[in-house]
This record gives sequence, C-alpha cells and structure tokens, in this order.
Amino acid sequence: MIKLRTENLTRRFLGLVAVNKVSFSMDEGEILGIIGPNGAGKTTFINLISGIIMPTEGLIEYKGNDITYVPAHERARMGIARTYQLIHPMENLTLIENVMVGSIFAKGNGLKEARRKAEALCHELGLRGLDRDTSRLTILEIKKMEIARALANEPEVLFLDEVMAGLNADETKDLIATVQRIAMERHLAVGVVEHVMGVIRELTHRVIVLEAGELIAEGKYEEVSKNPRVIEAYLGGGAA
Amino acid sequence: MNRNVSRIFAAFFGVLAITLPLFAGDYPLQVARNIMLYMALAITWDMLLRSGQISFGIAGLFGLGAYAAILGVIRAGMPAWLSILFAAVFSGVAAFLIGLLILRLRAMYFSIVTLALGEIFRIIVHNLHDFTGGPEGVVIQQGVIFGGNANKLYWLALVGLAVALAASTWFEKSKIHFALTAIRDNEISAKSSGIDIFRWLLLAFVVTSAIQGFLGGIFVQSYGFATPDTVFSADFTLLPLAMALLGGVYSTTGPVFGALLLGLVSEWLKLKIPYGHLVVYGIIIIIVILFMPQGLKQLVRRDAGKTEGRNA
Ligand SMILES: Nc1ncnc2c1ncn2[C@@H]1O[C@H](COP(=O)(O)OP(=O)(O)OP(=O)(O)O)[C@@H](O)[C@H]1O
Ligand SMILES: [Mg+2]
Repeated sequence: MIKLRTENLTRRFLGLVAVNKVSFSMDEGEILGIIGPNGAGKTTFINLISGIIMPTEGLIEYKGNDITYVPAHERARMGIARTYQLIHPMENLTLIENVMVGSIFAKGNGLKEARRKAEALCHELGLRGLDRDTSRLTILEIKKMEIARALANEPEVLFLDEVMAGLNADETKDLIATVQRIAMERHLAVGVVEHVMGVIRELTHRVIVLEAGELIAEGKYEEVSKNPRVIEAYLGGGAA
Repeated sequence: MNRNVSRIFAAFFGVLAITLPLFAGDYPLQVARNIMLYMALAITWDMLLRSGQISFGIAGLFGLGAYAAILGVIRAGMPAWLSILFAAVFSGVAAFLIGLLILRLRAMYFSIVTLALGEIFRIIVHNLHDFTGGPEGVVIQQGVIFGGNANKLYWLALVGLAVALAASTWFEKSKIHFALTAIRDNEISAKSSGIDIFRWLLLAFVVTSAIQGFLGGIFVQSYGFATPDTVFSADFTLLPLAMALLGGVYSTTGPVFGALLLGLVSEWLKLKIPYGHLVVYGIIIIIVILFMPQGLKQLVRRDAGKTEGRNA
C-alpha cells in the first residue's frame, strides 16, 4: 500500500534547482535508500517532505491526502518523522525530555504518559542515563536519541538523514539491526540517506538515486549500482 | 538543595510575606511592596524569555494596564477591584492583537519592536488629551482603593506577586515548559516534534502581558494617579530585566532572588547616595553579563554540585 508519494516535486533556490521534478512513492513496510553525490538534493528532498521548506512546484501526497503545503508541525502529527543530518538536540532539555517532546506535541500525551513512553523508547534503543544533559552524550547516543525523538511522534513514515555518519563499524552494525527491527515491528516506511554503500546494501529493499536534483535511477541496490548513469554520477561528482 | 528543604523555605517565606504587616512599619511595607512589584515583572519577563524572545516591552504593557484601570474607574465608573481585572484583560487582548503581527519576528527585531510599543502607547496616551488627561495625567478623586490603608495595599501587591509566581510555576511544570524550551533551543526540531511554534509564543506573550497589565492596574490603584511618564517609565522595563539577569534566567527562582537582592541593595543605596543606586544597577548588569552569564544561580549550582560530590 502506498504511504507517501511525490509528483514532479521541485524546489529552486534562486537559480539553483536543488530538487528537480522528482516523482517517487514509498510503500508501507518498505525501507528505501536515497543516495546521490554531495549536493544532489537528498536533504532538501527530505526537508520538502517533512515540511521544513515548501516546494516551488509539484505535489506531495500522504495516505492519499494532498499535504504539499501543510505546515511541518501538522505533518509531524499526521505521522511523518525525520532525523537531521546536522544534529539538533535541545540542549536545555535532558535526554529523556528530548524524547518526550514528540510524544507530548505530536501525539498529545500528558507529561506522565509521555515520560513512560519515552523511557520505553530509550530502553528499546539501548539508551541509558536518561536524565543526562545532551552535552554529555556520545555520538552514538546522540544519533540514537535523534531516532528516539523521531519515533516519539509514533510515525508511519520515517526519514533518517545520515544517522550512521561518524559511527565506527560495530556501532554501525548495531544501528542497522536496530533500524531494521524498529521498521519491521512498526510496519514503518523508512527513507534512508547514507553515503556508505555497505549500509545501503544491507538495510534497504529499494534505492532511488538523485543527481543534481533529478531522480536518475531506481531499483534494487544490486541493479542500481551497476547502472552506468549512476556510476558516472558518482565518478563525475568525485565521490566514488 | 533537596526538595523538602526548599518546600520548608518556601513555606517560611510565604508565611513571612503574608504576615509582614503585623510587625513591620509603613516604610518597610512600602519597600516590600515596591520590591514585590518589580519581582513580579521580572518573573513575567523571564517567562517569555524561556521561549528565546527578549521583550523590552514590559513598561508598555504595564502602563497600558495602568491606564486601562484608572480610566475604567474615572470614565466608566468601575469599582477598583474590577478595574484591576480589566487592566489584565486589556493588556492581554492588546498583546494578542499585537502578537499576531510581531511574533513572526525573532531576536533583535522582536526586541526593538517591543521597545517601540511602549513608546507608541506613551505617545498615544499623551495625545488623547481629552480622554486620558494628556501629559498631566489623571487622578482618582474619591474612593481610592482600601482608603489608602498601607496594610491592605501591601496585601494587594502580594496578590500581584502570587499571580506571577503561580503563572511561572505553571509554565515550569506543564507542557509549556517543553514547548518554550524546545522553541528556544531549536525551532526546526520543535516543528518536527509537532510543536505549533506561533501558538505557544502567542500564549506566552498574552499571559505575561496580561499579568503585566494586572500589575499596572494594582500600581495605579495603589497610588491613585497616572501620568504617561510615570507608568510608561523605562524603569519598569530595565529594572526587572536587571533583576532576572542577576538572579539567573529561565526559572522562577532566579528573578525572585535577583529582585530581592537588587531591590534591597538599591533601597539601601538610595538612602546613602541619592541616584547612586542607578549607577550600581548599571554596574551589576555589566558584571553579570561579563562574568556570570547564568546569574547568581551559577554560584548556588556550583555549590550544590560540591555538596553532592562530598556526600557521594
Ligand atoms: N537553504 C538553501 N539555500 C540555498 N541553497 C540551498 C539551501 N539548501 C540546500 N541548498 C543547495 O541545494 C543543493 C542540494 O543540497 P542538499 O543539502 O539537499 O544536498 P545533499 O544531497 O543532502 O548533500 P550531502 O550529501 O552533502 O548532504 C546544494 O547545492 C545546496 O547548496
Ligand atoms: Mg544532506
């Protein structure tokens, strides 16, 4: 069943077309890789879907409803969640309080209920020391907190923008397993942006490739990675 | 400090504050009244600051409430108590309408516009001569509240402070705390967690402005007169701000202790060197900003940390 789709989604910044006529769709339970060289428009694409910026043209449909111009906080309530490539913890809230926010405002839970749910989420992700300031967290813990913050919205669609970046091999392996389990248990549609192809190969069912804002290929990782246009994009981008 | 100890402290000061008129003379009561007024304003300024918005508009909304109250009595024949509530509603509604326009602004832009508000209100009051009494202001001729009884005026000011304390505690203990802190820390993350930023900013601006108007109503009823220069005085913006900064921002306790300390010190200095207290205000603000960005709270916190360490 299609959860989310876009049609000719376009965003210009002055002369630059960061996302150019991208049409795609995501099914329930599907883990979709979103790859492309630096500056290809991956983060901008997620910003458009989560409502952080508005498109210049095109359509975004979520569960059959047009949400193209719905404000970000309402999309969060409808079930679209994401993490940020440039992490944005709330430094004046503790770890557990950071995770509570989505539960309180996206789900409308009271403080007690939100704390209980946040504790369960942190536990599920293996986070401990829940009353710590975010300045005391390791990179892995911050990444997990960002995922927990997104999951606190109880989303149906989740986007992870380079959550594995900066982690070592063991941590990456651990997080891949965690994401797989979470997606499976919740029947989530997950969009994953990663530069490490090993992660994409292991984690995703299907991949879309962006280059200079355009969708240039789509399919299983094994097919897409052999696609001459994709190889060209990566070599041309200097990020092979 | 452990929770029970702070409860006992709070209860002690509460009882002390309520019973003060039973053993204090008129002068200390007058000083206490003044400090409570500024303390309440400092608290309301801090409440909005928790969202990251720095208002320089306290005097504007305070003065607006003051005029609403006194004109309510003089022009509409309201009883004194009603005029004080009217002041709160008037400033609250004004803040709602203004907030719709200015709460999209951030940082310096918001601050400057709020600063201008006070000036605009003052000029309007100045120029609506027939209705507001113009620059000479207006006086309540008869039936001043409580017949000017010093004890009752003191308790009235205490009610003003209690309202500010209650509202601030509500902000701290409810989901409002999460909304405002999230907005202050990162608006983009806040949105992604379902926070309707504009709505919460509007709530904080309206509530704090209504209390500022309420305090203006109490002030004007206590003195029985208003002129544009007294009720829109920059003191009502600057002194609360200095007090909150001194005590430490983003909490109820910071502004309370800052106001207590600065209020008492400046009262004492006023006696020693007339006008010298203003210089001291300036110096305190500079020292705090340069060396203690978290205010006095910083000292207490460091201390508490040490004690915990020792016990562990
Ligand atoms: N707010 C903005 N204003 C102007 N240009 C922008 C803005 N946001 C992104 N861009 C530009 O849009 C293009 C796409 O950027 P985007 O961050 O989406 O790429 P990306 O695929 O996420 O790259 P990376 O792999 O480095 O994260 C880049 O050229 C970028 O400079
Ligand atoms: Mg990116």
